[in-house]
Amino acid sequence: MAASSASKLFRAGRSLLGGLKDPNGSIGMSKDLPRSYLFSQQQRTFIQMRTNLKVVDNSGAKRVMCIQALKGKRGARLGDMIVASVKEAQPGGKVKKGQVVYGVVVRAAMQRGRSDGSEIKFDDNAVVLVNKQGEPIGTRVFGPVPHELRKKKHVKILSLAEHIA
Amino acid sequence: MRLEKCWFCSSTVYPGHGIQFVRNDAKIFRFCRSKCHKNFKMKRNPRKVKWTKAYRRLHGKDMTQDSTFEFERKRNRPERYDRNVTENTLKAIKKIDKVRVDREARHHTMRMRGKKTMEQREAAKELEQSIHMVKAPALLQQEPSLTLPKIKVKVSQQLSEENRMEE
Repeated sequence: MAASSASKLFRAGRSLLGGLKDPNGSIGMSKDLPRSYLFSQQQRTFIQMRTNLKVVDNSGAKRVMCIQALKGKRGARLGDMIVASVKEAQPGGKVKKGQVVYGVVVRAAMQRGRSDGSEIKFDDNAVVLVNKQGEPIGTRVFGPVPHELRKKKHVKILSLAEHIA
Repeated sequence: MRLEKCWFCSSTVYPGHGIQFVRNDAKIFRFCRSKCHKNFKMKRNPRKVKWTKAYRRLHGKDMTQDSTFEFERKRNRPERYDRNVTENTLKAIKKIDKVRVDREARHHTMRMRGKKTMEQREAAKELEQSIHMVKAPALLQQEPSLTLPKIKVKVSQQLSEENRMEE
């Protein structure tokens, strides 16, 4: 760590100050990315209580917090259903803030294994609000959805989706 | 079943290997192993990473245009199963691979030609310039046959043989 910071300083000093040996010079020019490297080593886990999820349909809600993951001791994964509380909603939508709703996880940052042995993961955690029977409340779904939903019998969501991953 | 290409290193991803990452704009990135995946997360550009196919093609180390690449183009139309077609395709794949490998080997030899002469020239130059690292300059003046073997010098035969053995 000390060696890398020393080399960084050396490089910054040489390029910016052009000869002036100022050891406290701008460290702002970090060429190698040790910080962002640490950042991207996040361990992605299940969707559990208190997880914030993005809502990707036009039911009116924007952000939702998971209260309970139905099925699954450790939490919900891609394609599972959750119970959530609406934290942020659009003014004239079908759902209001503070309402308790059901949702289906359509995008999860944690990788899920497919039957052919490969794994798939998405960029964020997203949910589509449904009623107790599993039918979506909204009429449109945004962004890509996995075809794991077909096996879980959420065919309606698949039909509304713009892209199936 | 489909054999995909790794987004980072362009090697084939066989079924059961690798991770698919789907970005929110619905672009799918496939990786053959965690090395490529981690490099992607570090936001490295594969065109700048030396061991990837993208870099090699860009810098002319590997063949870019060849008619054998046309056979590998992605087709999305499913073909009806025909045993003869399958058999012929399998035979053709073998032949095409052989042809491609031969062409790549030829490309490599074409790339590497002129290396021997260049190495000899560089060696001669180094000998001329840096011989003082090996032998003291005072000695060189006494026995100038030590510098370049081409220079003909009036020296007794025994002495020149000795020097050559020393080298």
